[in-house]
Amino acid sequence: MHTDLPPVKHYTRFEDAQGLLIASVQSALGLHLLRAAGLITGGTAGMSLIISYVTGWSFGLVFFLINIPFYGFAYYARGAVFCIKSLISVTLVSILAEVLKPLLHVDHIHPAAAAVLFGISTGVGLLGLFRHSGSLGGVSIIALILQDKFGFKAGWTQTIHDLILFGIALWLMPVDKVIWSLLGAVILNLVIAFNHRRDWYIVT
Amino acid sequence: MQTPIPEPAQTRQHSALEDAQGLAFGGTMAALAIVMLTHMGFITGQMAGLAVLVSYVSGWQFGPVFFVLNLPFYWFGYKRMGAAFVLKTFVAVALLSGLSMVLPQYLQFDRINPFVGAVLYGFISGSALLALFRHGASLGGVGIMALYLQDKTGFKAGWTQMAFDACVFGLAFALLPWQPVAWSALGALVLNAVIAVNHRRDRYVA
Repeated sequence: MHTDLPPVKHYTRFEDAQGLLIASVQSALGLHLLRAAGLITGGTAGMSLIISYVTGWSFGLVFFLINIPFYGFAYYARGAVFCIKSLISVTLVSILAEVLKPLLHVDHIHPAAAAVLFGISTGVGLLGLFRHSGSLGGVSIIALILQDKFGFKAGWTQTIHDLILFGIALWLMPVDKVIWSLLGAVILNLVIAFNHRRDWYIVT
Repeated sequence: MQTPIPEPAQTRQHSALEDAQGLAFGGTMAALAIVMLTHMGFITGQMAGLAVLVSYVSGWQFGPVFFVLNLPFYWFGYKRMGAAFVLKTFVAVALLSGLSMVLPQYLQFDRINPFVGAVLYGFISGSALLALFRHGASLGGVGIMALYLQDKTGFKAGWTQMAFDACVFGLAFALLPWQPVAWSALGALVLNAVIAVNHRRDRYVA
């Protein structure tokens, strides 16, 4: 286990703002491509996608609503700043995911491309959010807390949660879509497991 | 402003696997950015920009043009930055070239709002380049040449790159309608801002 270096510098407010903005856009872009292929993912985003496919409600709205209960937990565990940054990121992603629909038309996307591009785009988006002390709510909050308190890598917590969610998806969706979705979730979690290294940065 | 950036002691090295996934990420994201860019008919700066422009004018694909345009510069890269840098840059350039040809078979865009497209291009190609820089690679020619010239003549690398971009955009204004070139300038601005704010060697220990 790596110990954190003592934080010697902090991000400025501007640096945090641009970090949360760029990361939210990348997360939303990944989800936009994923949705265009009718795939799902893990976390509260995956839950929201399944619900939106089944009910026809918009993903952005469902994602925003599902995350509300988790802010209390975020506040309790990691304080107001983390809670507010998560609220900002989730709100941004909810809005951007709906905004991209009419402004970035995807004509055709192969599920393989959707899975890979989602994994790396949303994966790096989440990394950016984590780096700037934000998150995409729900499961990632719990994953971050477990990593901070017990050193249990955030990627593993999310993988376990995702497996449960995918079990449910197998009931509701065609098998091939669930398998492609699994590829995307694996890539996303690999991106995070490889690159989320608090011990390698000297700025918080 | 020639103040050297203080670099912390290199306490850790990225493993080969970590570098590989970094290059894979950078190459793939850059390819997605280029597919969006060329779908909109926009250009960008640096060698990729020249390659896009050449591909519009000649009708050749971006991938092979970009790959070939970069070939002469690996020698300078080797002299200036060493074998590892050249090898990684070659891999990244080859990945981008190859994926930019393959990806359109798997992902076709329809209408893209030009503002959204330009900003998205800046964000995703910016983070692709950040990842490549972080793992000791680049996307080729112009930056290498600029650093080489700076060593030999003292002519600042930033100026060489700016002069190159000015030529590419000047050519583009002569050859293309002005609207896509103006949107392209926004994309290039966003890209450079992303790198300027986030490429901080003084903040990493690996």
